[in-house]
Amino acid sequence: MSALEISGLSAGYGAADVVRDISISVPAGEVVVVLGANGAGKTTTMRAICGLIDRRGSVRVDGVEIGTKPADVVRAGVSLVPQGRGTLGTLTVLDNLRVGAALRGDRAGIADDIERWTTVFPVLAERVDQRAGTLSGGEQQMLAVARALMARPRVLLCDEPSLGLAPRIVQHLFATLRDINREDSTSMLIVEQNAELAMDLASSVNLLEVGRMVRTGTPASFREDTELRRAYLGY
Amino acid sequence: MELFVERLLAGVTNGSIFALLALALVMVYRSTGTLNFAQGEFALFSAFFAWWLVGTGLPVWAAVIAGMLAGFLLCAAAERGLIRPVQKKSELATLIVALGLFSGLNAAVALIWGTDTKVMPSIVPNGLDDYFELFGARVYGDTVVTWVALAVVTLLMTVLFTKTELGLHMRAVADNAESAALTGVNTSRILMLGWGLAGAIGALAGSLATPLAPEQLSVTTMFPIFIGACAAALLGGLDSLAGAVIGGLIIGVVEAMVTGYVPLVGGAMQQTTAMVMIVLILVVRPNGLFGSKELERV
Amino acid sequence: MPTVTDRERTTEPRTERSPVLLAEGSRAYRIVALVIVGAITGLALIGTTLSVYRMSQVTAVMITAIAVVGLNLATGYTGLLSIGHSALFGVGAYATGILILDYAYSPLLTLPVATALGFAVGLIVGVPALRIRGLYFSLVTLALGIAFPEIIRRFDDFTGGAAGLLIRSQFLTPPSWTGLTRFERGLWLYGLSFVSLVVVMLLVRNLMRSRTGIAMRGVRDHEVAIRSNGVDVARTKVITFGLSGAITGYAGGLFAMNVGALSPDGGSFTLVKSIELITAMFIGGAGTLLGPLIGSTVTVFLPELTSTWTTGPISGVLFGVTLIVLVFFMPEGIAGRLQIVIRRFVRVVPSDHPVARRRASSTQNSGGKVTGEEPVAAGGAEHPPGPNSDDASSEGSSR
Repeated sequence: MSALEISGLSAGYGAADVVRDISISVPAGEVVVVLGANGAGKTTTMRAICGLIDRRGSVRVDGVEIGTKPADVVRAGVSLVPQGRGTLGTLTVLDNLRVGAALRGDRAGIADDIERWTTVFPVLAERVDQRAGTLSGGEQQMLAVARALMARPRVLLCDEPSLGLAPRIVQHLFATLRDINREDSTSMLIVEQNAELAMDLASSVNLLEVGRMVRTGTPASFREDTELRRAYLGY
Repeated sequence: MELFVERLLAGVTNGSIFALLALALVMVYRSTGTLNFAQGEFALFSAFFAWWLVGTGLPVWAAVIAGMLAGFLLCAAAERGLIRPVQKKSELATLIVALGLFSGLNAAVALIWGTDTKVMPSIVPNGLDDYFELFGARVYGDTVVTWVALAVVTLLMTVLFTKTELGLHMRAVADNAESAALTGVNTSRILMLGWGLAGAIGALAGSLATPLAPEQLSVTTMFPIFIGACAAALLGGLDSLAGAVIGGLIIGVVEAMVTGYVPLVGGAMQQTTAMVMIVLILVVRPNGLFGSKELERV
Repeated sequence: MPTVTDRERTTEPRTERSPVLLAEGSRAYRIVALVIVGAITGLALIGTTLSVYRMSQVTAVMITAIAVVGLNLATGYTGLLSIGHSALFGVGAYATGILILDYAYSPLLTLPVATALGFAVGLIVGVPALRIRGLYFSLVTLALGIAFPEIIRRFDDFTGGAAGLLIRSQFLTPPSWTGLTRFERGLWLYGLSFVSLVVVMLLVRNLMRSRTGIAMRGVRDHEVAIRSNGVDVARTKVITFGLSGAITGYAGGLFAMNVGALSPDGGSFTLVKSIELITAMFIGGAGTLLGPLIGSTVTVFLPELTSTWTTGPISGVLFGVTLIVLVFFMPEGIAGRLQIVIRRFVRVVPSDHPVARRRASSTQNSGGKVTGEEPVAAGGAEHPPGPNSDDASSEGSSR
């Protein structure tokens, strides 16, 4: 059974749908990548899954239909690392992590997790009492991932995590994501525009064009397609 | 010297009231990014409600608490029912609704309780002899009550925001409501709560101010206080709680000194003094002393 | 003719029924305009037969309407919410009052001064708009609104202070060229207010069609975008506020001539007045030409109607509730709503409107009589009737 099963999802702003009839399946413990150009509807899809905008269609976690409010989605085990990181800039790094555990009541477990993620991301450990707004872009991205993980999600959604980051930092980020995926078997749905690194993690790739899902396949099948490779992988 | 100390203390007392209402304004601003034009009138309504309860035989302290509860409910309901639906439309629409609330609440008070002046009793003994001397100036009971109230409210707010999970969530929503929602924080509840707390603090300011206010409790009592509180909140930076308190005290003292020592202004232009300060702050230092967010500037 | 229609159908959005196009300068346009002008003049003449009391009420409506036209310029068209127009109104009123009493001006000659002072104060208040906007600019206007009555009270040897100014009716006699006696002051002010209102409305109508008018609406709707288009946003704001102040100041001068008694406490120049003006503007329709008149009619007569069952504060509650209800259910106001409805049937377009021109040339081709531009019976509209209630080009039709 899929950890996250999206079918027939449509959503948009106002009257017009930006994405229509999207279906994505994220098998338990695996990483799925959604490729798409600017404006293809990747972020809209993510926001719709998380209840930030209204949606139609079905979103299931472990076969159970989940609610449409953001809190329902988090409670069901789905956490989003939003595009642009969504750092709470006036709060400290520590407070950012605490907010990530907003729906949890287990104080001891929260403390353990804060310790764990500050170990996984040592830059955060050095800056726990610093305002998050003073962090560099890469550090903020680590913080955003750590904050989402504080909810102990079954499925982690990442919206263009590599955006605006130096290649070296992107490599480090994806290496960490792979470790987390292996250690905790956290399923992941990663949306990327330039996705070579993300594809290394992925078991399957979906291609989104102008609001519709146009192709699904293995990373290998995508790499073999010269045209796709040029358009989305850049070589 | 005595006169100076008296003016200073009067300034601090007025400033405490400004600070309390400024705290309410800051709570609202942090929740929804709005300056609530009607904050003073919410406080007025709650204070009249408390006055009315005293008339039914309730002890003053109980009536004040009931007034705070009324202020909480009134403001929370206004956020949910009136402000939130129009916020998406435009800033102008939100301002107009606040203005409507301002006009409507003020007139509703007059309609329900009449336009004649009421006497709101003080929580503590407040007779002519109930004073102690400080540097030769007389300090009366209700004066002390406002100082204590400001100190207690400031302490409680500080604890709420720095020590509790609820406060953490409120800070998160104030910073970035969408990110907060993504972690599962119930932003809708937090926004109502922010307005509600503002209403309660405002109600406290209204109930405490009226024994001090020269015209006691009437429909015009809260407006000058609202203007002072506006100046205080802006001076503090509009999103800083500490700034509101310090700003309130500064505005109170400056106003007392200006009306006391600048003959051109005298006692007749208190509100103008406060408003001139507002304009100066806006033009010279739009972020106030402690503001963290850049105000929208052209 | 059919070919034109067909061609347009393809580009036409989903409108059930195409409105009749009324090209400016065409014969039909002139006829409609003439009928409207005739109707207005007729109504105004009928007004002169009203009782003294009713006529003074209508005068009050027209004076309020002029003040609201001023407010509308800043708030409705340009999006600068002013809570201080009561003060601009007061500046004009006190200018007139003081000039008549202390300097023996003839009333009519005080009006240019009232206008100029309103303009000057408006400019000064508009200057902070260079640096701050939205809510914060409204606070600056609030400062003006609050300071004004206090200043009047403070400088009492000049303004009469809290006791007020009383202009005796002998100083307010109609000018001799009107042939009216001092007992016909009501009629004189009725006529003066009517002419003033018409002129001011025409001025605003033309202003909104000018480059400045387009810049003003741009400031309201897309400030960032129009700045990159080279519009001087700061200058537009300051000038708008000056003009707005001038018109409202003029209305204040008329008010002083009409009422003859000025006081800082009566609610004529306090925040209550500002809220009344704002309410009138929104009831009538912010950013519409006719809105101020419609809204003023409602706000002047509504409290009177309801005062039969209760008095005093009810008008404050009414204004408050009305404002909120309007924001929720009819943000475009009465005139805005009327425009939307009328535009379904008739649209006034400029004479260079492409559809109107195409129709005209097709008439030529099919051998029809060339008459310039006649109304198009079944021509399509480029846009469906939309809620942009301030399209100046259609305002003639809603009159």
